[in-house]
Order: sequence, then C-alpha cells, then structure tokens
Amino acid sequence: MTNAQGLAKLGAVLGILVFAFLPVAGLPAFYDSFFYLVFFWVSLATSWAILSGFAGYFSLGHAAFFGIGMYTTATLATKFEVPVLLTLPVAAGLSALFGVTIGAVVFRLRRLRGELFALLTLSVTFVIATVILNTPIDGGAGIFMSAVPIPDLLPTPTGTIYLLGFILCLATLAIAWTVAHSRLGMGLYAIHDDEDVAEAKGVPTFKYKIAAFALSAGIAGAVGGVHALYVGFITVSGTFELTVPLFVVLMSVIGGSRHWFGPAVGATFITVLLYAFISGGEAMVGRAIVGAILILSILWLPDGLIPALKKWRVRRAVSQPHRAEVAPVVPAARPIKDRNILEVRAVTKRFGGLQALAGVDLDVREGEIVGLVGPNGSGKTTLINVISGHYPLTTGTIAVDGVQIGALPAHDIARRGVARTYQIPRPFTNMTVLENVVAAAAFGGPSRSSKEIRDEALHWIGFTGLSGKEEVLPAGLNLHERKFLELARALAAKPKLLLLDEVLSGLNPTEVDNAIQLVRAIRAQGATIVFVEHLMRAVVELSDRVAVLNEGRLFALGAPREVMRDPRVVSIYLGKAYAA
Amino acid sequence: MPSATLLGQALISGVLAGGMYGLLAMGLSLSWGLLRLVNLSHFALAFLSAYIVYELGTKYGVAPWWSAAMVVPVMFGVGAAQYWLFDRFHVNELASLLITFSFAVIVEAGIQIYWTADYRRFETHYSTLSFKVGPFFVPVLELVLCVVASVLAWGTWMWLRKTYVGKGLRAAAEDADIAAAYGVDHRKLAYLLSGIGAAYAGIAGTFIALIATLAPAQIWAWLGVVFAVVIIGRLGNPLGALLAGMLIGASESLAMAVLSPAWAPVVSFSVLIVILLWDPEWL
Amino acid sequence: MLLETRHLHIGYGDAPAVWDATLDVDAGEIVSVIGPNGAGKTTLINAIAGLLRCRQGDLRFDGVDMTNLKAHEFCGHGIALVPEGRRLFAKMSVEENLELGCYLQAARAARSDSLERVYALFPVLRQKRLQPAGELSGGQQQMVAIGRALMARPRIVLFDEPSLGLAPAIVDDMFDIIVRVRDDGAAVLLVEQNVLKALGIADRAYVLEQGRIVAQGVPNELLDQPHIREAYLGV
Repeated sequence: MTNAQGLAKLGAVLGILVFAFLPVAGLPAFYDSFFYLVFFWVSLATSWAILSGFAGYFSLGHAAFFGIGMYTTATLATKFEVPVLLTLPVAAGLSALFGVTIGAVVFRLRRLRGELFALLTLSVTFVIATVILNTPIDGGAGIFMSAVPIPDLLPTPTGTIYLLGFILCLATLAIAWTVAHSRLGMGLYAIHDDEDVAEAKGVPTFKYKIAAFALSAGIAGAVGGVHALYVGFITVSGTFELTVPLFVVLMSVIGGSRHWFGPAVGATFITVLLYAFISGGEAMVGRAIVGAILILSILWLPDGLIPALKKWRVRRAVSQPHRAEVAPVVPAARPIKDRNILEVRAVTKRFGGLQALAGVDLDVREGEIVGLVGPNGSGKTTLINVISGHYPLTTGTIAVDGVQIGALPAHDIARRGVARTYQIPRPFTNMTVLENVVAAAAFGGPSRSSKEIRDEALHWIGFTGLSGKEEVLPAGLNLHERKFLELARALAAKPKLLLLDEVLSGLNPTEVDNAIQLVRAIRAQGATIVFVEHLMRAVVELSDRVAVLNEGRLFALGAPREVMRDPRVVSIYLGKAYAA
Repeated sequence: MPSATLLGQALISGVLAGGMYGLLAMGLSLSWGLLRLVNLSHFALAFLSAYIVYELGTKYGVAPWWSAAMVVPVMFGVGAAQYWLFDRFHVNELASLLITFSFAVIVEAGIQIYWTADYRRFETHYSTLSFKVGPFFVPVLELVLCVVASVLAWGTWMWLRKTYVGKGLRAAAEDADIAAAYGVDHRKLAYLLSGIGAAYAGIAGTFIALIATLAPAQIWAWLGVVFAVVIIGRLGNPLGALLAGMLIGASESLAMAVLSPAWAPVVSFSVLIVILLWDPEWL
Repeated sequence: MLLETRHLHIGYGDAPAVWDATLDVDAGEIVSVIGPNGAGKTTLINAIAGLLRCRQGDLRFDGVDMTNLKAHEFCGHGIALVPEGRRLFAKMSVEENLELGCYLQAARAARSDSLERVYALFPVLRQKRLQPAGELSGGQQQMVAIGRALMARPRIVLFDEPSLGLAPAIVDDMFDIIVRVRDDGAAVLLVEQNVLKALGIADRAYVLEQGRIVAQGVPNELLDQPHIREAYLGV
C-alpha cells in the first residue's frame, strides 16, 4: 500500500517535470496548443466540480465566470495596458466576487436547488453576456489581444500560454485535492447528500456553499484570463457559448464529479477524443461519438468513472460483513443531577393555520431520560424539530445548558451540544458508514485532531455494533443498521442532549430488544436523552419520566407507570369508555 | 423615442415571433412539468425536422404540409423511444438533461455531416408574403404559425383539463402511486405524452424550415429564451407557454425598437430571474 | 370470502415490515385492524391496495390471485383506497379529484350518478367543486378522499387512519360515513389507531403489533384482552 502510494507520488512528480519542460523540448507548436487545451478543460471542469460536484449545486452558468475572467484580462490588458500576469488575480477576484454575490442571494432561498439553480445560473450567463455586448467592455466588436505583450516566461508565446495553463491546472487540482480532504470538503459532501441533515449535524451550510462558489468562480475567472491570451480575439458569442458549460458538466460527470480527480479524467478523455477526430478530419463524427459515449456513461456509470473504479476495488477488498450485535451492558447507577440541561418555556409552533405546538413547558435534568409520547399529530416530532433548530420557533424560549438557543441556526445548536436522530434514517448516502460518523463528530463535537475524531467515530461504530461495516455505503445496510448508524452519528458529536425520534419503529422484536439494550448502554454513560417513541413497553422500561403531549400541549408528566395508568392519559389513547 | 407606428409594428412582429417560442416551449413544458424530464434534445428534433422538410422541399419538391405529415409521426416515435430509454434506466431530472444534451449534440453532428455547416434557406413563393392592416405589415407565414400554435396550445390545454387521460397525467405528476391506485397506468400515458411533445417539435420544425435560415449551430440559439418561456408560462401548462412566448416575443421586440437589437436577450432572462427569486413556488 | 390474505410478508425500504399476515374480509363487513403507530398497519393496507408488493404469501380478492398484478390493475377489481394523510391531487379541483376515482372505463360510465351520490353524501363538496383540493380544510379533504374512493364503485374500501389530524367533532362524522359506506354495499377494511372508535363500528377486528397479527375476534372480546392495553400503554 505505502509502496504503491510512493510509486504514484513519484510518477506524479515525474509527470509534472516532464510537462513543465515540454515546451522547451522543441516539439512542434501544435503540441503546446493541444496540451494547453487539455489543461484548460481540466481546470475548468475541476473548478466547476468544487461547487456543483462536491456540494451538488448544479450550475449551468460556468461560462459566466469564465467569461468575466476573459473580459477582465482583455479589458485591463488592452485598454489600461496592465501587465497580463497582474490581470489574472483581478480576473479571479472579480469572478469570485460575482459568485459570492449570486450565492448570497440564491442560497437563502431553500427551493432554488437542482434544476432551478441550473436554470438561474444559465440565465445569469445570458444577462452578463448581453450587458458586456452592449457596453463599451465589448461594444459588439470584440476585443483583439494581438497588441498585448505576452510575458516572456518561455521563448515562444505559445510556450508561455502553455506554461500558464499548466500552472493553473496544477493549482486547480491542488485546490480541489485540499478541499476534498478538508473540513470544507466534508461539509460540502454532506450538503450534497442531505443539506438539512448537514445543517443539523453542525455544518455551517450557508458559509460553506458561499466558500465553494467563490473558489469555483474564482478559478474559472483565472482560467478565463489565460484563455483570453490563447484565443487572441474575444467575442461575446464565442465566450458565453452554451455548449461550454454543458461540456464542462459532462466531463465532470463522466469522470466522477464528487471526486477531486474525476473531472480531470473526464476532461482529458473527452478533449483527447475530440482532438483525435479533429486531427483526423472527422470533427463532426467525433462530436457524435462523444455524444454517444456520454449517453452510455451516464446510463451505466451514473456516479462517474473514478467512483465506479473505487467501488469495484472496495467490493473486492471488503471482508464478509458480519451481523451487528450489541453486547449487553449492565446499567450503572447514574445520578440525575439538579441542573437543567433543557428548559423549554411556552413554546409554540404554527404552520399556516395549524397550531402544532400550543405552549409547551418542559425541563429535562442532566442525566435524565425523558420519554415523549402522545397520539399521532400531538406535536412530538415537531417539538424535536423545534429544539434542534430544524424549524424556527413561533414564540417561546428554549435554553440548553443555560444558553438560549431559540433563535440560533440549526448548525449552531448542534455545536452547542444538541444531537438528534431521524425517525426514517437520513444518512449521507454517498458517504461510507465511517465517513458519516466522522462528519458528525467533526462538525457536531468539540474541535479535535482528525485522528481523535476518527478514533471517536470508530468507537461509536463499535458501540452500536456496526464494526466491520465502516467502508460500507448506507444503501448496503438494513433498516436496523441504518437506525444504529443514526445513533452512532448522534453519539459521536458528544452531545449534552440527545434527541431520539422513534429509534425503534419498524424494527422486528429481536431488533427492538437489541436497540433497547443499546439505549440502556447509552444511558449508562450518563447521557441526557429525550426520546419520542410509540412502543410503550420500551418507554416504560427506559424512561425516568414520561411527558405526554396531546394537541400541542403538555398533557401529563411524571413517572412512567403512574402516567400511563392515569385515566386521563388512558382516555386519550384508547377512548373514554376504556379508561373507566 | 421611436414613432407609434414603429412601436406598433414592433409589437405585432414580436407577438408573432413569440408564437415560435411558445410552440417550441410547449413540448418542453409538457415533458418537464408532467414527466419530470428536461428534454434539451427538443430543439435538435425541431431542427432535424426543419432540415428534413427543407430537403424534401428543395430536392423533391414536396410541399411542406406533406412533409410535415410524414415528419410529425416519425418524431412522435422518436419521443416515445426516448421515454423508453428514460423509463428503462430510471433517469432523473438532471440525468435526463445531460442525456438529451448528448442526444442533441449527436443530432447536431449528424445534421452538419449531411447538410454541412452552410446556411440553408427554403425559398417558397409564400415565404415573404404579407398583408397590410392600417399602417402595419403582417407576415402571413408567421400569422399561420401563431394560429397553429394557438390551436395546439388550446387543444392540449383542453385535453389535459377535460379528458380522463389528461387528468390521469396531471394526477400522476402529483402523486403517481395514488393515481395508480385508481387505475392510471402512468407509463402508458407517459409514452403518449413524450411522443406528443416530440411531435410538437416536428410541427415547430416545419415552420422553422419555412421562416428561418437553417444552420446546425442554430439548435442552441433559442434554448435560453425558450427555457425562460417554459418557466414563466409555468411547467406543464401549454397555454401558459404560448402566452409567455408571445409576451417575451413582444418585450424583446419592443426592447429592440426602443434600446437596441442587442439588448433583447436581457428581457426574458431578467423576467426569469425575477420570478425565480421572487417566488420559487411558481413551479 | 371477498378479501383473503394468507401469510403475507411485506417489507420494502424504510416502511415498517409486516410478517405472516393472514386476514379475511367478507362482503358487507367492516373489519378493523388496530395497533399502535409503527406496527405496520399502513404497510399492510398499502399492500392490499397494490401500492406495495408482497414478498411472500397470497393475496386473493373475490377468488382472483392479486399477488402478481401491477398497482394500476387493482382498482379495476373493485379495491379503492382512502390513503393515510388523504394524498389528494392538491393542484387539481375537487371535482377533478373525484373524477380521478372513476378513471377506469366501468366506473366512468356511472360518472354522473356517482358524482351525485358523493355530493349528496357531502353537500359541502358541491359548493367547493371548482376549488383546488389543496385549499380545503382537513375535514373537507377527507371527504374528497372518501368521495374519490366511492367514485370507483368499489366492492371494498380501504380506510387508512381516516381520523388522523381531524377535529374530534369531525371524527365522529367520519365513522358515521364509514358505516354508511358499508350500508351502501361495499365491504370496509379500516386501519385506525383510535381503538375505541375503530372497534365501535367493526364486525370483526385484528390487532397488529410490531408487524404481526397478535389477536383477532369480535370487538367485545378484544376489548377485554390485556394485549391491547399493553400494546398501547406499555403497562
């Protein structure tokens, strides 16, 4: 393994050296131009993927940022005679600023995802193109770059452009690698799979999306700046051409847009293919064949080439998965302290005309387990959603460990020690079990080194009996295991308060017993838990106190056996006559 | 400020030109709104039809309406075949966009190989015919196009509204499971609708052949505007698509007259951006 | 027997699974399936409506083996579903929602007659017939959902939690309506968490707990079983 890695590193270094000195090797200028185009598409496709592949915000407006870069460099170099190298950071900065501005507006609207985001970015492209066309920036005539002095980094101008493209390409890949292996990348991947859950696990989604947009647009701007030199004559119709963003998308998707190196593979593959046909004089046949390959690859490799290869390797490497079993843990004596961890005061929540919560007060003491029960539609899950910040409060206050959290965004609440599970498990579907738990630990828990986070994650994976499944994707787990993955993710955040939403629903009797043991084990560690549950046997067994909600109000509160025998409670469950 | 006559003329030309936007938008709007498939190849199919009509007309002297009678059923088959592919591979919205883009690239390449990248024009003795109403010129072909588009839009709208098949389609678009529980065979209807959408591309293509100058790259020329029209007219609403098309056509034409021709694209996209930002529930 | 299930095993995705479910509904009967939330009641009823496939076991309706039929083929045999949460076509008008109920040829022939009957049963729907169904109140939406099922001229109506999310006064009306549906000739399979109401109108009942049928019988007998109390209250 380390040997292979070393070999790959050596290969990469050698490759970089070879490519860096290629222009001075005396090859025909054709090669400079050809390789430049490969670098160009690799950079562009990779930069697109940082926002659209990693975070899943599919943009069709990449031509806009690339075009802004082109026109920035062209305008500064021709009209203001700024040295070309100095224009590149400006081009990048301006594009990034533009991306941030669009993001700041668009990312506030929850529904603007998927194809609507794609359309919006596409529209922005057309508007920018028209504005540039009709203002002195272009004026309809286009900009000639022939008079612009190209910096003499290398003896020939084509060599210089090649080198700039190459450096930019390396920088782009380095940025993509860094992002993919950083906290930012982990957050973006989580956003891609389920933005609400990412937020609830502590990912500052808005900030991260803006950062990704800035990076993506900024790189595209710099690439555009260099491309202005390559093209020499810049026109609006040539720059903001629709097929540019579409090809960028396809290159990334074919290679695997969630992987830092995927777009590079796709871009190289398609550029080489197109070029092969052009040089063979069959450009159009080539385009048609590329089109056909795209269709086939999207149908059969929807995740792209690199992930498909990785999956194949993992499938071969993974040992026989074994069944999740939890060793019985004897509950330790566990004092309930006087301090309140959770204080809910007069909380109401209204959805349009529906009053889901009509003034709920509830205190939960440190180390306590409170069962939250009530008939369907009584507001249990809404209360969990309100405490965890998924829905904003209508009125009232909520304090966790003395801190008011009612007005905070969900990711802030998660960071202040509130973790939750979902009734229907919502794992990050493209992340392995380990990655799922690591992300929850990294964003929800205290800040630690990545090694500690990983150990923490492994600990909880073992604790919930998922050992041996670390590298499995959630789709490979059964419902029972996915519920436990939910638990592992919540526990890895080391919460002060754990909110469990129907952990037991849908499990068969053996699995239920298994899960009850697990909750007991969690309790033994001194966690404070509020859990919504319909399986009354479990509620009675596990809770210190039971809170009964009915029609959005706290209806009864007390020791489980007493509360569940209270005639009033019996009557809301079974009807009046039954209680008598 | 241009004269009233000029503005009036711009308005008339704009509305008539908008008929083409509306006609192209209809098929797209149906498949996107009711099948959740974004069909970029719609434009390619329209141009392919246009080239076929052009070929039959110039080489073999076939009248465009006879060509249309041949092309439209073929396109229906193509549309149904596309749906087979989408259904077979459980294609989602984004993947459908990528696949149909690739399909459009293939068609574009095919057109360029057979007809070359040269500009083609199907000259007929009626292609420049127009009549005068007061001070205004009304081009006949464009008027016919608008009438056809209106009939189709209204007919499709009524079909979706009044027939059981139409209601079944709309119901399945909202909740396919429950629609199935009442006997709606969504798949069968989807084949039909996908075919109809493509057939509309064939009809649009026939008019493109008669009105426009053909070049392979023109496939992409209307894409942006027509997408804006689809959204502004609301997904799955053919009448809305036509009205939005005429609205956008008129605004573009007025913008050309008042500002300058090059400002036209800003109109439709500004409207689209405003709608998306103002009320994303629009769809 | 009109409806017979034998040893059904249903379980897909994240829906609660059901094992070994054997139950019967005869013509003219109201049969209730009660049980706490998450027991698999909706899973069971969706499988009988054809929305979920059965993994194992037999599903027969009026002697016809339904196990391998597609979802859209169930309605034609006379099975109509009033789904949990109503699931109306929210953007379509009330009348269009009702008309969807008589989508199939046989029911379509009786459209105006059926429509009259539904409007007679729920006069308020006639006033609201052109409004989008999504704009109605919860109780009115439930009426549309029931009306939609009746439009199909079903031989059995499957009710999934008809009282869910409704004001108590309206809940009583809903159960009266269910009895009327039976009196008009269709059998009823009712899934409810409101035990007393569900048992109050039922001829027979089954108790579903954690995916298994744990008890069955006539309502009075079931009410005395400790099973129910335990399932619902845990004590």
